[in-house]
Amino acid sequence: MVAYSVAAHDRRPELVAGIGGAGWALTAAALAGRWPSVLPWGLVGVGAAYAVFLSLRERTVDPRAPLVAAAFFAAAELAFWSIERVEGRRDLAVLLRRLVLLGGSSLGVALLGALLLVLTSGVSGGVELEAIGVLAAVVTVAIVTGLAARARRSTST
Amino acid sequence: MSRAATPKLGAYAGLAALGLLAALATRLPELVALAAPFALVAAIGLFRARRPEIGVEVTLERERTLESEETEVQVTLQAEVGAERVEVLLELPRELGVAEGANPRTLHLRDGERRELSFRIRCNRWGGFQVGRIHLRTHDALGLLRHEAVADRRLPLKVYPNEESVRELLRPHDTQVFSGHHVARQKGDGIEFADLRPFVPGDRIRRVNWRASARRGELWVNEHHTERNADVVIFLDSFAEARRGERSTLDPALRAAASLTSRYLRQKDRVGFVTFGGMLNWLLPSTGAGQLYRIVDAILDTEIVLTYAWRDIAAVPRRTLPPQALVLALSPLLDDRAADALLDLRGRGFDLVVIEISPLSFVPQPRGELQELGLQLWRLRRDAVRGRFERAAVPVAVWGDESSLAAALEEVSAYRRHARLARA
Repeated sequence: MVAYSVAAHDRRPELVAGIGGAGWALTAAALAGRWPSVLPWGLVGVGAAYAVFLSLRERTVDPRAPLVAAAFFAAAELAFWSIERVEGRRDLAVLLRRLVLLGGSSLGVALLGALLLVLTSGVSGGVELEAIGVLAAVVTVAIVTGLAARARRSTST
Repeated sequence: MSRAATPKLGAYAGLAALGLLAALATRLPELVALAAPFALVAAIGLFRARRPEIGVEVTLERERTLESEETEVQVTLQAEVGAERVEVLLELPRELGVAEGANPRTLHLRDGERRELSFRIRCNRWGGFQVGRIHLRTHDALGLLRHEAVADRRLPLKVYPNEESVRELLRPHDTQVFSGHHVARQKGDGIEFADLRPFVPGDRIRRVNWRASARRGELWVNEHHTERNADVVIFLDSFAEARRGERSTLDPALRAAASLTSRYLRQKDRVGFVTFGGMLNWLLPSTGAGQLYRIVDAILDTEIVLTYAWRDIAAVPRRTLPPQALVLALSPLLDDRAADALLDLRGRGFDLVVIEISPLSFVPQPRGELQELGLQLWRLRRDAVRGRFERAAVPVAVWGDESSLAAALEEVSAYRRHARLARA
């Protein structure tokens, strides 16, 4: 994400790299020392680098923002996963379930990001972007409906 | 189950808040796309939060086992309300270890699911333990909330010490009135020839010694020594022990006590038990398998308790130390109080034997001249204690790493044989 922010634009790359590098270093330190209180600040640093990149570029919506959001979310999930204290052997079935959930969540984040961009930008980014937005909206409604139904079932039992 | 939020929940809420604030301030919709998923995950996690309800049952494969043997602990989980990830930890004392599989274990439990987990444990050391305290920790699917509980389903597990090999037991000087395996001085029905005497009416014909009768011209009969049982008291010194890491002088002492108890009871002797030290414990002499279990259970309860107050050997009831009993003491001879109590017993006329559990292998190598001198002085002091026993005609056999219990007992037997010859 930091590399993308630095490489995607040529205005003040050193500033973006500096902020992103600091965030990355803090994240690496938090992972190495297993400090869950430090990890969010590292992620904030990385996110700040992307925000600086966005503010320095022309006023057009970054079409790769949904992918960046998905990558950022996946990185945050993996980071918190890696600093969990797990004693004993990890069960393979549990591990696979987590990986599947992580993959699905990241995909959902990308779809959600596309939907949000379509809604918040108010500018049509092309048929492809509109289609992604619609699909994201449908999937979001389906997920929320499913969750609500499950919540109603669990409270009634 | 107690509930706690993981650091991830606070971090995600913070990231969402910062991201959305930054999006408002900078009017960058991309930051909304970056921050909103964290807010959504936190909201979904809290919305879907359920307190798991998991029942735990524990069973042991068996209640009694021997040192170095393995046994199985079965843990059954019944989930009324399941969880995405359940970590199960079987709490074990340090004397027990996991022989196979992992501890803790992680699994997924659906609502209404029943799972059985098997933990194979190795009993590394003797003792009485309570096994079955289960720690549960559950995580939701998003890793935002954690629930913990402890289920106390402890069951007793007794690990008996392994027996030391014993070739021949010490023979008591005196016997008792019931039949047993020891040749008594008394004459009566038996196998060992004792004497000849003139025939009196009532004697059985088969006891007539025809050769002697022919020589003397009248009937003479054989007399035999009877076979009787004996009383043996195992005396355990629990004032002090020498310890190095997991090993201590108490371990061979207890193994020897268990072996000797088992062997003497097998030959129908009455065996009693006295633990003399910081804790005073005794069992009246008796016979049978029940007495074996009582003594071994008492052995498992033995531990070294440091104390400056102690009670005289007279505190032990008289019936525990029958007057003609063989008192077999197992002691590292580290504390003078144990030596004084044993010499007191000898002074009262008890048939006493001391097996010294040598603490020398537990002493670290001396470094420097001063430590060498200290070690020599300590050894001389121990020789002086042994000398007190020898002057009281109490045989003391040293049992260390280089020798076996059988060799120590043979040494004592030889001493007692020579002592008898000297008196004659």
